[in-house]
Formats: sequence, C-alpha cells, structure tokens
Amino acid sequence: MVQNVHGTFISEKINKIRWRPDPFNDSHSFITGSWDNDQNNIKLWNFEKGEDDADIYPFVIQNYEFEGDVTEAKFINSDYCVVSSSLGSVYYLKITNTLTGDVQITNEKLWSNIHKFKNQDPSLCTSFTVYENDVVTAGEDGRVNVLNLQNKDVLRTIEEADSCSLNCITFVKHSEVLTGNSRGQMKIFDLRVKGNQPTNSFMLSGDQIAATCLAYHPNQRHMVVAGDEDGSLTVWDLRQNSFPVNLLSAHSESVSEIQFHPDHPDQMFSCSFSGELWHWITNKPGSHGGKLLNVSEMESNSWLSTESIKNKFEVFMLMPKLHKAINSIDLSRDRVLCGCDNEAIYLINKVNIYS
Amino acid sequence: MEVPCKTFVIPNELCRRAGLAGVWAPLNEVAVFPSHLVKAHNPDAPSPYGPSNASVYKVRQQVILFEPILRKLVNEANGTFLSVQELISNNVLDSKVELQKLSCQYRSIIRACLENLQDEAMRDKTNYKEELQNYITIFYSVECVWHLCEILFVENIPGGVVLPHLLEWIRFHFPKYERKAATLLAGDLVGIETHPDYWQTVIGSLMQGRIEVVRALLRLHSAGDSKPFKLVDQALKAMPTYNIYSGVSATEFNLKWKHWLVDTQSKIDAKLFISEKHLHLMMRLSVGEETAWNEVQSHCEAWYELLAAWLVFTEPTVKSFELGQFARRCIARMNVGLRMRHLDYVLLAAMEADIIQVIKEIQQMSENGWFVSHLTDLLYHAGRLVVLDNNPESHLVGSRLRECFLLDYGTLLMGHTSLWQVGLSYLDHCPTEGLKTIELLLPRLPLKSEARTQKIIREAHKRDLPQIIQSICKIQAMNSLKRGHLGNALTWGIKSQDGTFTSLLADKFLREYCKNGKLLNIDLLDSLGSSMLISDRLIFLGKYFEFHKEYRSRNYKESANLLISLLSSKLTPKYFWATLLDDTIPLLECNELIMSSLDTFTLLHCLQEKSDLPELQDKIELIRLGAARNLSRALMYEAQLVK
Repeated sequence: MVQNVHGTFISEKINKIRWRPDPFNDSHSFITGSWDNDQNNIKLWNFEKGEDDADIYPFVIQNYEFEGDVTEAKFINSDYCVVSSSLGSVYYLKITNTLTGDVQITNEKLWSNIHKFKNQDPSLCTSFTVYENDVVTAGEDGRVNVLNLQNKDVLRTIEEADSCSLNCITFVKHSEVLTGNSRGQMKIFDLRVKGNQPTNSFMLSGDQIAATCLAYHPNQRHMVVAGDEDGSLTVWDLRQNSFPVNLLSAHSESVSEIQFHPDHPDQMFSCSFSGELWHWITNKPGSHGGKLLNVSEMESNSWLSTESIKNKFEVFMLMPKLHKAINSIDLSRDRVLCGCDNEAIYLINKVNIYS
Repeated sequence: MEVPCKTFVIPNELCRRAGLAGVWAPLNEVAVFPSHLVKAHNPDAPSPYGPSNASVYKVRQQVILFEPILRKLVNEANGTFLSVQELISNNVLDSKVELQKLSCQYRSIIRACLENLQDEAMRDKTNYKEELQNYITIFYSVECVWHLCEILFVENIPGGVVLPHLLEWIRFHFPKYERKAATLLAGDLVGIETHPDYWQTVIGSLMQGRIEVVRALLRLHSAGDSKPFKLVDQALKAMPTYNIYSGVSATEFNLKWKHWLVDTQSKIDAKLFISEKHLHLMMRLSVGEETAWNEVQSHCEAWYELLAAWLVFTEPTVKSFELGQFARRCIARMNVGLRMRHLDYVLLAAMEADIIQVIKEIQQMSENGWFVSHLTDLLYHAGRLVVLDNNPESHLVGSRLRECFLLDYGTLLMGHTSLWQVGLSYLDHCPTEGLKTIELLLPRLPLKSEARTQKIIREAHKRDLPQIIQSICKIQAMNSLKRGHLGNALTWGIKSQDGTFTSLLADKFLREYCKNGKLLNIDLLDSLGSSMLISDRLIFLGKYFEFHKEYRSRNYKESANLLISLLSSKLTPKYFWATLLDDTIPLLECNELIMSSLDTFTLLHCLQEKSDLPELQDKIELIRLGAARNLSRALMYEAQLVK
C-alpha cells in the first residue's frame, strides 16, 4: 500500500493542488498553490516516470508569484485556470507554451479586490464554483460575486448574502448556488432573482458548526455532501431539502476537501486537517462474489440511503496518517494528489478503483 | 566558555544621540528604538531631542533553517522526530533497534539535504553560491558527527567491537579511494600501474581495510605474477579479521593475529619485498612499523582517518571505550593538536564517550539548534543521558537538558510565518514547560485570515486551552466589528462562549434598532437556536426578533405573548424600554382583542415602574390610553367568557 505513495518536500505549505487536465493522455502535470508564506506561489509541476517506474520526481516548470494566500484553484480546461486569493481577488491564468519551448503562466484577467469589508479592508475569497464560463465566488465578507470569464466586470454582487463568513459555495443548477457559512447555515441563491434573499436555507446541524467544503454527486447534482469542522460529512437531497438524509461521522478534525470520482460516483475521497486521506467505497464486491448492493438498490443512489446502508460503506486509508493537516486533494483516474501543511505533496499511484 | 559578542550599529542619528532601548517583539524579533533614560532625580525639562522623527528598527537573527532549501530538512526531520516520540510512548520491546533505524532516517534526511545543496551550488552562479557552500560545510559536519554518535551511542554493538563500524564510517566520509579504485578497475586494465594514482589508491584502500580491493588491484599489476606480488597476496589473504560471530574468541584471535604478524615480519626481515618499494611499505604498514606509518600519515586528511587505519593493523579488537586514548595518540602523532578544527573536537569528545562535551560542542554549530535538539532527543531516548542523572557533580538532568533544547528549537520555529505548526509539535514533547510555552506563544501568532485562525484555534483545542480559544475568538470578533461586519462579530462572540462579551455585541444590534428601527442580520438571528443561551442580552435579542417575526406573519396572539414575557422578564436593557413599550400600542389598538386583562395589567405595571424615563414622556399618555381601552375590552370579554 505504502510503496505507491511518493512524497516530495517542497518548502511551502500547500493549500490547493490540482491536476492539469489532459484531454488525450494521463495527465502528468499539476499546479500547487501555497499559503502562509512570505511570498506565496503558484507552481506548475511536471513529473516523468523513471525507466524502472520505481521513483517519481516532480519538478517545477514554472513559478508564478502570487499575492496573498491561494485559497482556491480550478482548471477550466488544460490551458486556463481560475485562482482566488486571500486578498479578495480572482485571477484567470493562462498556461502557454512559447515558441522556444518554455512554459509561461500569464494573467489573462484579474478581478481585483472583489471581496472587501465595509471599511474597505480586503476580505478573503474563500471559495468559488465554476459552471462553464460562469464563476461565482464567496468570501469572508459574506458577499457572493458572479463573474463571467469573458467579461472583466463583476456581473452581479449579492451584498450581505450572509451575515457571517461564507466558507464554501457550489453550483447546484446553472441558475442556483448553494453556500455554507461559518455557523453551518446553508443557503440556496437563485441567481436570476434580485435582492439578497436566499430562496431556501437550512442548517447543517443544530450546533453552529461551520461547513468547510461542499461537493455534489457527478450524475445527480441534487445530491450534495458537506464537510464540517468537526469532521463529519452530511448528505442532502436538495429535492427534499432541509433535513440531511445521511450523516456520517468521519474524520477527527475539520474536513478540508471532498471529491467524488467523476467516472465512478459510488466512490468518494475526503481529506482532513487531522492528516487523514480516505477513500469511500459503496460498491466493493462482497465475499459472496456479488456486490454489496443489488441492482435495484443501485438504481437508488446509495449515498442517499439512510441507516440500513451505513454499514455498507467501506473506507480505506490511502496513506498512513500524517502529523499535519492535509489541505487539498485531486484525482485523475486512479492517481490521487494531496498537498499538506508539512510542506510536502504526495502522489498516490494505482489507487484501487472498484468498478 | 567565552562567547564572542558581535556589535551591530543601528544607522540612525537620533539613536546615536539619545541612546537605544529595545523590547522583544513577539517571537524572534527585537524592536530597537531611540530612547532617553529618565530617572526620578532628573530635572523636569523639555526633551532636547524632540520634536523629531523616531523610527523603530526590527532586529532579528538570521535563521538559516528558514531558507527554502533547508525548510525541507526541518519538515522532514519533524516527521522522524514525531515517529521517535511515538515509538517511545508505545513502549516497544526492541526499541533500540527501531531507534537505530530512525537515526538512519535522520541521516538520510541530512544526506538528501546535502545532495540538494550540492546540486543547487553547482547550478547557482550568484553570490548565493558562497552561502550554499557554507551550508554544505555545516551539514557535512553534522552528518559526520551524527554518524559517529550513532555508532558509539545508539547502535547496539555486540561485544563493543567497534572497528568494522568505524571503518564503515571512514569509508563513507572519505570515499575518494573507493571511487578511484572503481574507475581504475572499470578502465583500461593493461598497464594499470602506469596510472598516476595507482599506488596511492592501493595504499589508501589498504588503510581503509579493503583487503579485497587491494588484492584485486595488485593482481592487475603487469608484474602481478612475480614473486613479491604473490607473497603479498598470500599474506593479505591469510590476514585474520576479527568477527564477533565467527565463533573465535578474542584471545584465540589474538593468538592467530600474533602468529600472522610474526610470519609477515619474518618475510619482511628476509627482504622478500625489497625489490618493490610500494609492496615493502604496505607490508611494513600492516605489521605496524612506526617508520612506515610516519611515511603515510601525511596522506591522511584527518586524524580520524589515520586512527581507523592504525587500528586495523594494530588493535583489531579495540573496544569502544578504548577509542579515546587511541584518538589522542593519533592526534599527537599527526601533530594536529594545535590545529584542531571544531569538528575535530566534537569527534574527539565523542570517542572519549564524553556526551556532555559533544552536546556542548555541537551547540556551536551554526544551524540554529536543529542538530543539537534532534540528537539530544535521540540520545536521551537511547538511554545515554542517564549518566547525567547519576553524576552528583553535574547540575544537569538528562530530561531537562533535552527539554531545554526542544523548547529553544520549537520557539524558534514558532516565530516563522509558516513553520509554527512544526514548532508546536516540538513544544508538545516538552513535559514540564511545553504547555506553558504554547500558552504564551499561541495567542501571539498573527491571525491574518479566518482559515489560519481556525487552524490556530484547532491547535489550542487539541491542547485543551479554552482561555486561549476565548481570547482569539474575541479578537476576531473585535476585528469583524471594526470592519463593520456585525453578524460575523456576533458569531465569533458566540464561539468565544463569553457571556458579557456577547452581551456587548447583542447590545449593538439593539441600539442600532433603537436608532434606525431596523434589525440587522436577520438570517443570523433567525437561526441562533440554543446558542443564544450564553448571554441574557442575546436571549433578549433573539426573543425580540421572534416577536418581530410573529408580528410580521400576523400571529398577533403569539407576538403579544412574547412581548409580555419580554416585559416581565427583567432582561430588558434600560435604553430599550421605550421601544419595547412603544411596540405594545399596535397590539393594544388592534381590531380584535389580543391582550388579556392580565397581560394589560403586566404592561401597566411596567409602565408605572418606568414612568420616569425621559424618552418615554411623550408616549406614556398614548400607551396608557391604549392600555385602558384594551383593558375595558378585555374585562368585558373575559366576563362574558366566565358566564
């Protein structure tokens, strides 16, 4: 298990790590964004597999000096990515190959200080979500900004979308976003409706526990999973709303990111500040040869099922527990990347994907 | 020990004239500023220095561990350090073996770091190169000392037969003969002896005890078939080597060894090798002939290189506790006693098994305590610092010594913007003062963003330091307040669990309502739940919001009940009475009867009590009138009901 984990120490704490998508091959390139450094960077990495396939050494091909902490990064396609900063700005970056064969990272567009407090102090842009060319950002100032990658202006701002800090945001439909705040209040905003009132809101739990991250099911977008600062995962069916359909107490500390496997939605990955990286499986073949879920159950979404299904989850630790927080994960087919507070990145090859 | 002090000049005119003062700025900095000492007996006169522009200079020590290239070492070693602590706390039976593995791990981290530095130094063409070379020197010494300490203090050597390990150490740190031999053997084999380094390599390999290599090289000599070569080969082949597992006792081995010596000596005396001067020298070396050793010792780069070679041929069964005297002899022999470098002193102290001296010396290595804290920790866990506790003369206690270094190192790291988490994990393992130190340092970390704050709070939570969590939450609340983010301030206030403080924030909401008639942050107030119980004022605010909510959704009966319970609750702040009483008018004047006679009596009672309030004066009549009318309606209605 451990021999397919490759760790590299890189002298900066990583807040976000993302594969650079490659439409034709297995990607072998990724970006990292650092935090808490005097000078933070976005680095583009590449790695080549050695002849003997034993060791993998990622190396930096380009460094982009970044102002403030990197708070979120997402690729739009293999050449463009969007990155947000702790100073409330959002960058639209382009990766280009020059004629001489060098790789350059250039800033295509910048939405500067779109998150700020009433006294003009910059506010952290905590999260954003992308739907085609639309980007919706959320910040500690409780604002929601709607951007379009083709347009350099902010299309719409929902002032005081929340009276607390917004921690996470995700599209549920093209016209609706779901936000989670530092008290665990979840709100759905319809972007077509004027005003700053949400169309719906509900609580993560009764105890004012902050939501830290959100992810939706790849095929069934109405199914949303939220991680909270106590390490639990809560599952909602937004068609039924208000009450969570499933509550899984998972990690021992704050969940930092959740990701479904895009091709195998019955599998999910989560990481936590406690240094754990977990692989969740619902369809692992049972001892009797068949799958734990029979066909009729498969049709209903197993993440949504309640009590009876709980014991049918299988959880694997992909790595021995680290001593420091894991801040970010990303996967590409059967390879998982994670970036951590011990100033290291880890690449895990050949993760068992049960399909 | 005398510590040389360094002087730094603050380039400021005012500082020069007035004098300096300095205070510790949190963690690794000293803030230096011009200051003029005023004492009680000084006459009270205007300062001769003002008005002037005073500057504050921040002075800090340069910490090489904060260089990006060395941060890898810091982080990676932290993982190993925590593994050591885990191992010890798990009480594993063969912890000695495991400790040695971890010691190796430390060394491989240093090695990786050195290789990294070398790569970088090769690539770098700027001034930084010199710096890198500096680091290489430092960490080379670190590696060398660590390796020796591992052999002498951590590794469990059966029977204390230290020579094979010592040779391994020498071979590792003086790899040039091995490399040369490899190139010679891999190159053109014909006429190998014409290579200028040939004999030097042969003799060098012999001195490192690589008998097989020597024989291989000699066989390739074009005269390899001649008699002297054959004889040397035979002699080397017959040379006994001591091995604890060979089943041969030390006395038996010594007998064999003596026999071999006599045999070889007789061959030398018979002048069998005299035709080949190099072979002659080699044989004289192997029987330990003083004159021969005098010839070669100049080839040795360091006294410990000579020491290992000398031991191979004169004291193959040397025990680790005897090393010190041989080391001293070698130093005297090479006449380097006066030219000893720092590294030499450390190694000598290690060979003399003077752990305290070793620790004292390695503190002087300028890598900011990385080495001394990790090594001391390892030695402590290997049970090597027990000597201190048993020695009544020394004032040191092993556990305290270790803790002292860890404290220093942890505190140093806490001062770095990014490495504070690593620093914490060292302070965690200081049993007596660690927690107190964390308690002092944690609140001094800059908070910056909420994400970072959450991480700091998390660390405080793990160590069960509620007072720190409370103070951080309150700072965050005040920051939010300053930024006009009232809702967030209240959230932090609630997180702080401080009743009075939360009351203060809830007051802001109520006062704002009194002023503008608008309740802020409705989404927040709507979902307070049980968290409102931490302060009276917050309960009042929450309930008052509920009253509004009910009123707006036309549940007049409900809202009246809430209002009356608020009136009689004794929670109402003084400035809010007028507003609260004012709110009763629409309910009193409503078309249908809402407030019962009992409710109205409660209201009138409150009204009477507060009738002195100046802001109420213009409304009191109106409320009284409304109350009277409502009372008449209510009494009539209730009377009907009784019937």
